Amino acid sequence: MNGRKTKRAIRLLLTNLFFILICFACLIPILYALSVSLNTGNSMLSSHFSFIPERFTWDNYRTVLFKKPFFLWLKNSVLLALFTVIVSLAVGVPAAYAFSRYRFKGRNHMLYILLLLNAFPSILSMFALYRLLRPIGLVNSYLGLILIYTGSMTIFSLWNMKGYFDTIPVDIEQAAQIDGANDYQIVTKIVLPLAKPTIIVTAVLVLLSVWNDYIFAINFMSGAEKYTLAVGLYSLQATDYTRNWPLFSAASLLASLPALIIFFLIQKHMRSGLTAGGVKE
Amino acid sequence: MRMIRKVLALMLTICMVSINMAGCQGQSSPPSAGTAAPAVSSENSPKKPVTITIWHEAAAEIAKSLQTELDKLAPNVVVKLERKEKLADALKLVGNDPSSAPDMYFYAHDKLGTFAQMGILSPVTDFISKDDMQDLLPMTVNAATFNSQIYQLPVYFETQMFMYNKKLMKDPPKTTDDLLKYMKENTKGGVYGFVEQHSTAYYASAWMHAYGAAIINDQKEPGLNSQQMISALTYHKQFVPYEPKDGEYNTITALFKEGKAHAIIGGPWLVPEVKAANIDLGIAQMPTVSATGKPLTPYSGVQGVCVLKTAEDKKDAVAAVLKQLLKADIGISLAKTANCAPANSKCYDNAEVNGNEMLKAMKETAENVVPMPNFPEMDVMWTATENMLVAINKNNADIKTECDKAQKEALSQLEAMK
Amino acid sequence: MRKKIQPYAYSLPALIVIGLIVLFPILYTGYISLTNMSVYHWFDFHPIGLENYKKALLVFDSGFLPALLRTLLWTAVNMALQLTVPFFIAILLNSEGLRFKDFYKTILMFPWAMPAYVSILLWRMGIYNSEFGLLNQWLKQLGFKPVDWLSGDGTAFAACLIVNLWMAFPFMIMMIDGGLQSIDKSYYESATLDGAGFFMKMLKITVPSLRPIIAPAAIMTTFTTFKQFDIVFLMTQQQGSKTGANIHTVLTYAYEKAFMTNNYGYSSAISILIFAIVIAFSVFTTKDLKEEGTR
Repeated sequence: MNGRKTKRAIRLLLTNLFFILICFACLIPILYALSVSLNTGNSMLSSHFSFIPERFTWDNYRTVLFKKPFFLWLKNSVLLALFTVIVSLAVGVPAAYAFSRYRFKGRNHMLYILLLLNAFPSILSMFALYRLLRPIGLVNSYLGLILIYTGSMTIFSLWNMKGYFDTIPVDIEQAAQIDGANDYQIVTKIVLPLAKPTIIVTAVLVLLSVWNDYIFAINFMSGAEKYTLAVGLYSLQATDYTRNWPLFSAASLLASLPALIIFFLIQKHMRSGLTAGGVKE
Repeated sequence: MRMIRKVLALMLTICMVSINMAGCQGQSSPPSAGTAAPAVSSENSPKKPVTITIWHEAAAEIAKSLQTELDKLAPNVVVKLERKEKLADALKLVGNDPSSAPDMYFYAHDKLGTFAQMGILSPVTDFISKDDMQDLLPMTVNAATFNSQIYQLPVYFETQMFMYNKKLMKDPPKTTDDLLKYMKENTKGGVYGFVEQHSTAYYASAWMHAYGAAIINDQKEPGLNSQQMISALTYHKQFVPYEPKDGEYNTITALFKEGKAHAIIGGPWLVPEVKAANIDLGIAQMPTVSATGKPLTPYSGVQGVCVLKTAEDKKDAVAAVLKQLLKADIGISLAKTANCAPANSKCYDNAEVNGNEMLKAMKETAENVVPMPNFPEMDVMWTATENMLVAINKNNADIKTECDKAQKEALSQLEAMK
Repeated sequence: MRKKIQPYAYSLPALIVIGLIVLFPILYTGYISLTNMSVYHWFDFHPIGLENYKKALLVFDSGFLPALLRTLLWTAVNMALQLTVPFFIAILLNSEGLRFKDFYKTILMFPWAMPAYVSILLWRMGIYNSEFGLLNQWLKQLGFKPVDWLSGDGTAFAACLIVNLWMAFPFMIMMIDGGLQSIDKSYYESATLDGAGFFMKMLKITVPSLRPIIAPAAIMTTFTTFKQFDIVFLMTQQQGSKTGANIHTVLTYAYEKAFMTNNYGYSSAISILIFAIVIAFSVFTTKDLKEEGTR
């Protein structure tokens, strides 16, 4: 028994060490940005660089948080991301469910084609999207952006969630049906809770893509009061006159924080419900 | 369900906090002259105030100077300066859409040819007379002209200068041969005698023009493999081994700011950074190329305001804005706050402007600089030229071969534009 | 009756949105490719048939083929690494008794939380820069000569590869980790009872069970990797800071040759052609895509 235990302990130790190492390696560029942001002097580059900042200062963070409209950008990003996630899920989940559970005409072809549509190099799409949004009057509005973001992520969300739905045995639903539950109850009380991990993953994916996008936001919105975090960040290094590296680094790190916090919080909700005992064969 | 509620709660909390903080911050965007109403009055009766929207991508100080200057037109004309990132791309998208396009924009002159060709610009002479512009430096008016029409009202211009660290370089070299000698003597141990962006078309043009070579001439013919070009690049190649190989903006500026480069060719935007790094900055005339007797003549960029066709119904307001910018006041204000070289020659009568070493130097070079070509064909030249420069300077390719290749490339790209 | 329209009703919103945002641009680009829209005819363009396609075929010249091959190599290497390394990391993450799992996972997600252009900037200037980058500073401290990472073709390719992997691993790790969660533990238990070893279990249980969940992610990532423009462009080809390395991918090559000319008709034709090439490839190499759909 003891042998097994020590073997396990060693294995765990090695695994932990491994992760500490790769986490550190992964963070090197981040630590670099951190160090630049805590330094005075406007330089990303320095001939005697050290991870410990030479002239430590919180100034850059102070400037970003209080002198730049950081919270305005944050508010805009949060609202935009929140609504996009809600719309994306509202659109994607039913579709994924339908594609998974039903075999209707054109289903297979549609799935295949949807996947292939991703092969299009969308560099020129900006123009087409503008032509689309203009007649509807959605050019300079959050609604237009939400539409664009939802559209770009739906194919992936659909495929992804459908794949997960596929792994939920239909027996569960049939059992509930025999017990007298109607469709609505089956979906909300049984299927959705079981699909929690994939819904969360999809929500996170959508959230991140909205959070970090600046191309669509810049092109389809004007006015400094509508800047999202990504656009505000971009403006900090856009032109030669306005570039300030420590400020930019500080802002980048601050902008990434909310995403990380959300990651951390949702970890425990990604445990699958299936293994917690759904149907035992 | 509980989880969703938790995340929602978290996000709403962030929202509340940030709304509060945003409120406490007060105005952080450029103060627009007290107008929130986007409604545009198309009547020009002097009673109703007309709103003019101007897009820009300029630094905060410059935008502020402009806004202050144009606020003087209130209450009849209310000017709203709006910062738009990636302005050029945005204009391509919305140029002719009255509901999303601005009335005017403030930007460098090199793109006006493209926009004029697209048909979204009105010449400024539709609103003011050519005589009104007589005080402006001829080079700037030249830059603003495309197809014999003047599309931009120049406000200030930028060009590169020879900057040096007074502590390290006692006597800036007057000729390029002297410069080369200086570099050979002083480049060692991680310190460079002279640094520049050797493979960027914008900066390398200084060397080309000194030899009489041109990337593209007024007849829109590329000159990438002319004899002068080959001579220029061959001569320039001698300097490259003594400079940092990557020739990148960030690298060379960092070197200069740390005192590891004696001299640098750079623009006015460098000055505040360099001064903040406690470098004793000196400005000198560009060295003369010994072989041709001509000084290094860089490209110049002229920043000014252009009028979009969508503003046609606001003629009086636009004219008012243009006339306001024709006065010397804006030039002097920009010179004082942001070290910009005004396009209006009258500004140089002002004592403060005249006392600024750098501005004086820039004005003197204004006689010789070459404004960037502003016609649409120039767009494709940058790539071909840079590929050529990079191949020659970084990959040590044969100069004649690369020039011929680049010329062929440029010609085919020009064809492809049609 | 209700049962019949239900799937259509459920999928309608999604299909509408996809139609507008994904399908429409493709069709519109196709339409523009048949016109003469360019700087000279920005608003007054008219159809000119297949002229642009004839011009476009000229782009597929000597430079295009190497770019295509390089893009294929890029995609293959990336996908091979992106499917194997995250797999092992995810498996290790799920080791029994790993208490700091959530912490590690969050840290590993960091590259994903930053906007791509910021990451690329950090890597380009902070790590790969020939004078001041971290890599060269360490090399100098160890006594070696600094290397110009971004100017040699081979080193630039490797440099871009590392950055892409750095940014892409979090996604795959998360996907695989999520997938691992959904595998019924009882399978493993019965396999252990039958005497199966670690690798056997992995091969026969884990991998097949993961396939349906990972397949869509993997396929999408393959397409995204093929279309990958930002990394190669921002690291080596951006106007004003070209590094001398020629590691053009299909898109950066098309960008430099065609999109810069502002000739929209022409550029659209090229986009459509690239689209056709990629589709042709996928159709030939992934016949089992259809099977995935029919599950």
